Amino acid sequence: MKLKHSLFTRRQFLNGLLGGWLGAFAASFLYPVLKFIFPPTREPEEVILPFVDFQDMEPNTVKIFAWGSKPGILKRNDDRSYTAFVAVCTHLDCNVTYLPDQRKFYCACHEGWYDENGVHTAGPPPRPLRRLSLSIEGENLVIKREGVE
Amino acid sequence: MTAKKKLIALFVLIVFLHSFVLFKINFAQQVEQEKTGTIQEEASEKIVPGPQGIKESTGLYVFIAWLWLAILVLVYVLRLKIKEEDRLLEMRFLSEKKK
Amino acid sequence: MKEKNVKKDIRSWLDERSGLSAVFRFLREKKIPQHKHSIWYYTGSAILLFFGIQVITGFMLVFYYNPTLEEANSSVARIMTEVPLGWIIRSVHSWSASFMIAFVFIHLLSIWITKGYRKPRELTWMSGVFLLVLSLLFGFTGYLLPWDDLSLSATKVGTDIPRSIPVVGVWVTKFLRGGEDVTGDTLTRFFGFHVCILPIFLLALLAVHVYLIQKQGMSLPLDLERKEEKVKELPFWPNFVYREMIVWLVLVGVLFTVSVFFPPSLDKAADLMAPAPEGIKPEWYFLFLFQMLKIFPAKILFMNGDTLAVLLILLGGTAFFFLPQIDNKPAERKGKMITVIAYLFIIYAVGMSVWSLL
Repeated sequence: MKLKHSLFTRRQFLNGLLGGWLGAFAASFLYPVLKFIFPPTREPEEVILPFVDFQDMEPNTVKIFAWGSKPGILKRNDDRSYTAFVAVCTHLDCNVTYLPDQRKFYCACHEGWYDENGVHTAGPPPRPLRRLSLSIEGENLVIKREGVE
Repeated sequence: MTAKKKLIALFVLIVFLHSFVLFKINFAQQVEQEKTGTIQEEASEKIVPGPQGIKESTGLYVFIAWLWLAILVLVYVLRLKIKEEDRLLEMRFLSEKKK
Repeated sequence: MKEKNVKKDIRSWLDERSGLSAVFRFLREKKIPQHKHSIWYYTGSAILLFFGIQVITGFMLVFYYNPTLEEANSSVARIMTEVPLGWIIRSVHSWSASFMIAFVFIHLLSIWITKGYRKPRELTWMSGVFLLVLSLLFGFTGYLLPWDDLSLSATKVGTDIPRSIPVVGVWVTKFLRGGEDVTGDTLTRFFGFHVCILPIFLLALLAVHVYLIQKQGMSLPLDLERKEEKVKELPFWPNFVYREMIVWLVLVGVLFTVSVFFPPSLDKAADLMAPAPEGIKPEWYFLFLFQMLKIFPAKILFMNGDTLAVLLILLGGTAFFFLPQIDNKPAERKGKMITVIAYLFIIYAVGMSVWSLL
C-alpha cells in the first residue's frame, strides 16, 4: 500500500536514526558500568566449622558463626539435634539474638519475635528466619544453603 | 578542507593513535622482559588481567565488533546530517547575500 | 505534533527561570573558522572527552579502591579479579590517562606552532600551562596508587627530583611525600591529591580557560589573520558539533579496543625495605625529563649536576609559560625562530624518550 505523503520528513528520519543509534551506543556501555557498580552478592555455598567447637553445647543454647559477611546462629535443640539459621531479621536486616528463657529469637530494632524454630510470631517480620542445612562429616560441621546438594 | 582531505586526516589520526599504542606496548614488554630476567617467582605473582574463560572472551569480542559497527553506522548518519546542515547553511548564506 | 509541544513547553518553562536559551543561542552563533589548520581545533574537546572518561571511570574505581598501605595493592587486585569487568574499567582509566596527556601535548604544540597565544589570548595560554602541569600531576599521583614495586620506585625517584632545587627543594619533597621518605602517608596524600585537590583546581582552571575561549572566539593562524578576505566559518552548533561527534566516536572506539586488548597488569605489593627493582621507568610522558636527568653528570664545575638539570627545566618551563610575552613579534624573525624551537622541542622530546628506553 503506497502512502500519498511521507509519515515523517527526511529531517525527522535522520534525527531519529541518529538519536536511536546514539542511544543504543550509550546504552551498550551502561551494561558493563552497571555490572561493575552492582557486584553479585557474595554468600558462601558452604561453611565448614570444626565440630569440636560445638559438640559440647547445652540444649537450648546458641552459638554464632560466620556465614559470609552475615552472622549465622547454631542452636542446640532439646533433643540434642542442631538447627542453623541466618541470624538476620527478615524485616529490615538487623541481627537477631536468642533468648533461652523465653525460647524465642528476638530482633531489637523493631521488636520482632520468632519462636525456637525460627517461625515469626510477633512484630513486623514477614517471614521466618532463613534456615541453613547442616550435616556432620567426620570432624567437621558442614553448613550449606538450603537446597544445595 | 575537501572531503578527501578530511578522510585522509581521519585515517592519519587513527594510525597515529595506534602507533602510539605500539610505542607503549614496546615499553611494557621491555619492563616485563627485564623483570623475568631477574627473579622468576616474582613473575608468577603478577596479576595479568583478561577475560576469564571462553564465554567472557566471546562476549567481549562480540561487544567490540558491535561497538565498531555502531560507530560506522553513526559516522555514516552523522555525515548525512553534516551534509544536510552544510546545505542549509549555504542556502541561508545565499539568501542573506541576496538581501 | 503533540510531541513537539511538550518539548517546547519544557524548554520555555526552563528558559523562563534560567535564561538557558541564551546559552543555546550563543552556541548557534559561535563560529569556527575553516582553513587548512582547522583540524587542530578538535584537540581541545578531545582532551575534554578523555577527562570526562577519567572522571567516570575514576568514580567507579574509587568505589572499590582502598588508599592505605595495607590494602592498596590488594584492593586493585580485587578490582581486577573479583569485581565484574573491573579489569576493563581500570584499563580504560589507565589508557584514557595516556590519551588525555597525549592530546594535551598535541593541543599545546598546535597552539605554539600556530601562535594561538597572541594578544588577546595570553591568559588562555597561561591557564593552559597550568592545566598541563595539573594533568601531569594527575598522572604522577595516579601512578602510585596501585602501590606495586614499579610505581613505588618511580614515586621515590620523582619526588626526589625537587630536592635538587636550592632553598625550597627539600620542602617541596617533604610536602609531596608527607615526610622525608615515601611511606603509607605518601600514598594517602597522593590519593587525596588525585581524587580531591587536583580535580578542584583543574575544574576551576578549566572554567577560566573555556570561558576565555568563548569570550574571545577561536584564534586564526597568523597569515590568515593578516589577509583581508573573510575566512569561511561554520556555526559551532550544529555543524561543528556533528563533526566533533565523529571524532569523539572514533576516539572512544580506539580507546575501548586498546583497553580490552592491552590491559595493564598488577605486580605484587611494594616492599618498602626491598632494593629498587631493575628498569625503573616513569610513565612515557616523563621519559624525556627522566633522560635529561640521567645524562647530566654528577658534578658540573661547582654545581651539582641534578640541580643544574632541574634549574634548566624550571627555566625552560618559565620561558614556556611566558611564551606570549616572549613572542611579541610573531610575524618577524623572532617569531619564526620560536616556531622552529617548537619543532626542535618535538624532536628533542621524542628523541630523549626513545633513548631512555634503550
